[in-house]
Amino acid sequence: KMSQSSVFLLMVGGQIESAEFPDFDDIYCKYCFTFGPDWLVTSGLDEGLTQVTKKSRDDRQQFVWNFPLDITFKTTNPFGWPQLIVHAYGIDAFGTDVVRGYGVTHVPITPGRHKIRIPMFVPESSSQLQKLTAWILGRRPEYVDVRVLAQGEGREVTRVRSQGFLTVSFNVVMKDMKKLGYDVIPSEMSTSVIPESVGPNSGGTTET
Amino acid sequence: MAEVHIVGQIVGASGFPDHSLFCKWGINTGGAWKALAGLREGQTQVDTPQQHDAAYWAHPIDIHYATKGLQGWPKIHFQVWHQDSFGRNELYGYGFCHVPTTPGMHEIECPTWRPSGSFKEQVSQYFLGGGPQLKNPDLIYSGADRYRLHTIAMGSVHVRLGVILRNFDKYGIEC
Repeated sequence: KMSQSSVFLLMVGGQIESAEFPDFDDIYCKYCFTFGPDWLVTSGLDEGLTQVTKKSRDDRQQFVWNFPLDITFKTTNPFGWPQLIVHAYGIDAFGTDVVRGYGVTHVPITPGRHKIRIPMFVPESSSQLQKLTAWILGRRPEYVDVRVLAQGEGREVTRVRSQGFLTVSFNVVMKDMKKLGYDVIPSEMSTSVIPESVGPNSGGTTET
Repeated sequence: MAEVHIVGQIVGASGFPDHSLFCKWGINTGGAWKALAGLREGQTQVDTPQQHDAAYWAHPIDIHYATKGLQGWPKIHFQVWHQDSFGRNELYGYGFCHVPTTPGMHEIECPTWRPSGSFKEQVSQYFLGGGPQLKNPDLIYSGADRYRLHTIAMGSVHVRLGVILRNFDKYGIEC
């Protein structure tokens, strides 16, 4: 008997939609996907940069990028499931780029459309003096390598301040996961369709 | 062997008296389970939120288990701690929840509690902070000697967990 391939594909489409940062304006985002050693990108871009946007001059005070994400992964093992890391930068009063927030979320593990609101946080300065120098020089504390955000270790010594939210939507498709014996949806639900709610009040996380 | 992947994050916590918080977490399983990859415990960063009444950690969890039996299904437990501006840590709550048994994405709100002491201890806690803590943290997820405790409710921990199961239908398990 011929040995079967043990590979499955994960195709992710979506967008970095919008954000809320009550205290800031003129923001752009850098994003990257991180994943475990068994994963490979077969098509699409695993990092990029959005446009700079101002917040809307109305009650919503929203930043909108509507920035497309399109990437396909190949893997033999769900461990190391891809995560999206977004870092938002803004321009401060002196005209330099400063970090306004880091956010991280896993690509959803179920096929379908998902909208996720991720909190954005910045590392805190360790003292008042450092805070003052940081403000004057425009050199705020930053992560040297953002990929640490995707790991669970080493975070216990960091202090952060959450100061905004970013909304990302994902459309997830898998190929051959069921063939390899993996279940990502309960068995009796595989043929039903769950309607998604749309409209002015549909915020937060939804899934279909 | 059946396998379970837990992919998600500890999103944050809300409903506590103060939101400069961090969380120590761990996953506990029975004897039939073996962790093949991933960290089974950890500690989040300390978040001091700017505006909202909730702390956000976005702490990733990615664990791969292999199992020979259903007994001892993984349970995730939390200890929420408060860190004040002087760097002192105070226990704010204990909580646990079972990892969901159905494959898919789950949003879980796990309630927490903390031991409440005698009236004198409560008054001292109000002014000085601190307060009783469990000597043995196993009590967070076991029911064994709980009847001896007096506790008070605290806020909740929000977790978003994705569960991927493998080969469970081969063994006739319906979930």
